[in-house]
Amino acid sequence: MRQKNPFLYYGGKVLSFAVSLFLLSLAAFYVARLAPGDPLVSYYGDRAEKMTVQEREQAEARLGLDRPVHVQYIRWLEGAVRGDFGISYKYRTEALSVIAARLPNTLILGGIGFLLIFTGALALGAICAWNEGNLLDRFICKAGTVVSCIPEFWMSLVLILIFSVHLRWLPSSGAYTIGGGGIANRAVHLVLPLTVTVAGHLWYYAYMIRNRLLEEIRADYVLLARAKGLGRRKVLFRHCLRSVLPTYLSLMAISVPHILGGTYIVETVFSYPGIGTLSYESARYQDYNLLMLLCILSGGLVILCNILAQIVSERIDPRMRSGETPEVTDHG
Amino acid sequence: MSVLLEIKNLSVSFRTAQGEVEAVRDVSFSLSPGEVLAIVGESGCGKSVLCRSIMKLLPGNGWIRGGTILADGTDITHYTQRDMERLRGRLFSMVFQDPLTALNPTITIGAQIAEAVRVHQPKAKKAAVRRRVLELMDLVGIPGGEERYGRYPHEFSGGMRQRSVMAIALASGPRILFADEPTTALDVTIQAQILDLLRDVQARLGAAAILVTHDLGVVARAADRVAVMYAGKIVEYGTVEDIFYDPRHPYTWGLLRSLPAWAEDGQPLYTIPGMPPSLIDPPKGDAFACRNEYALAIDYQEAPPMFRISDTHYAATWLLDARAPKIQGGWSHA
Repeated sequence: MRQKNPFLYYGGKVLSFAVSLFLLSLAAFYVARLAPGDPLVSYYGDRAEKMTVQEREQAEARLGLDRPVHVQYIRWLEGAVRGDFGISYKYRTEALSVIAARLPNTLILGGIGFLLIFTGALALGAICAWNEGNLLDRFICKAGTVVSCIPEFWMSLVLILIFSVHLRWLPSSGAYTIGGGGIANRAVHLVLPLTVTVAGHLWYYAYMIRNRLLEEIRADYVLLARAKGLGRRKVLFRHCLRSVLPTYLSLMAISVPHILGGTYIVETVFSYPGIGTLSYESARYQDYNLLMLLCILSGGLVILCNILAQIVSERIDPRMRSGETPEVTDHG
Repeated sequence: MSVLLEIKNLSVSFRTAQGEVEAVRDVSFSLSPGEVLAIVGESGCGKSVLCRSIMKLLPGNGWIRGGTILADGTDITHYTQRDMERLRGRLFSMVFQDPLTALNPTITIGAQIAEAVRVHQPKAKKAAVRRRVLELMDLVGIPGGEERYGRYPHEFSGGMRQRSVMAIALASGPRILFADEPTTALDVTIQAQILDLLRDVQARLGAAAILVTHDLGVVARAADRVAVMYAGKIVEYGTVEDIFYDPRHPYTWGLLRSLPAWAEDGQPLYTIPGMPPSLIDPPKGDAFACRNEYALAIDYQEAPPMFRISDTHYAATWLLDARAPKIQGGWSHA
């Protein structure tokens, strides 16, 4: 049961958020340094390979890579607490500003994708539940399962092949044409990545809505609602959907990172200049500071969404709030 | 007296993986305005299905196989769901066994009753609906309506929940109230209160009621007439006096003998031997024959017709045939 003091309640949540983030940063820091590869390559480019041992040592000392890992971590942490996340080796500017330039692109793709999945799944699930067992429902179920089984990278490539290479309707990569970047231009570039993102996730949530609705339709309260004269549609939308919504909202909150992870793959395939491509690059080129910041951002989002999901489900479902309201005593 | 509801030869079946379940078989009865008819029988005898089929609230695999349903003189057997929606709430309404699951846990009690009020008065003003809801809460004995309006079902006790369900059922002033085991899920102390309330409200509003129960104590307390159901059929029906003082069907005898009130000190409670038959391919002849210590040879071959005992009292057992042996030690002679 929930604590009654809101200060303690939210304080606890913030504390668990901070602790999780700390552990995440620690793990990410060590794992990144344990991975094979040469961080100097991303800073000095090809030059790094021709360096003498002495030059290498100097370069490492300049980047602070000569110290033991725990010292490096403490330094990084000190900086991070002050808001200084170091520089990106590859871009040679502050990691924060590198990300700030790319973040809007990912937010547009991920945000629109999330909204489409959220509303689309609700609609599709309701359509299926309404038509339970008939041809439409069976068709959507089969098609949904098939589509959601296609790997995203493969679907991306096939779509590029069809719509960019053969039909030449849509661009195959980027977020906008270099030089011109109007809304229409951006929208055209979004079509394929969005399609893949939505197609990859939609059915999973729609199917869950469908099945939860079917469960609700069989509940006793539906019988009472029907017995008092309510039509089938009103029962479905006012009663059943309402009961499903809390679970759905918390599921969707948890799914934010899941969908975001999907956009990372999609971004990479479509060379879409967002956080996903950046994460991939930074991991590949040992761009430690950038990688850390990206880990903290994505991980923080995951943890935040989980906590949010918890709060949402506790807020929306009145049964979870029983701690707040004493039971009305029975007079009869 | 006019007839409010007349059921003629109604049969209801369910499609299942094991075959067709004949849940209700050839049932006929009628209901007059203002009267309370109790349908009694053990679990699975088809009494709930009977009610739900009349309101057309059967699950997807159930259907009316035959017979007619006359409501207020109109044949509603073939009404569509949309037609039925106009009747539900106004002509008939239903109270369920478990008031916790019958109420939507995510909507306040007040809003659920208000919804029932608005179903047939979509243009009613907000304040008028609220006034009507409070009136209904008062009618079914929920004190402090103003305060409880915004409460959720889980904040109510079992008795209060069943009262709320009744308020919902009564919202549009139904002329027939189906009460499907309305007291089974409640505490014994609350059961009597709910029954008295049912009786009181029904009498005050002049509504008729069909009370489905397996509890003969409930019947004695609340009903005017009784129909005893066994294996999907009505085996005996009559007034409460007929059934309790002059029962004629061996199944009714068995039910009455198994009441705790009849048990003698130190003697085990009487139980009817055996189990009800499966309703997939029900047995030929009288379905009760194999559990009936007075069964005749003909019981295994041919189903008995309804024999008339008096104008109000009928029973379906071959024992009432003129050629049947007179039973010594049945009920009346026990």
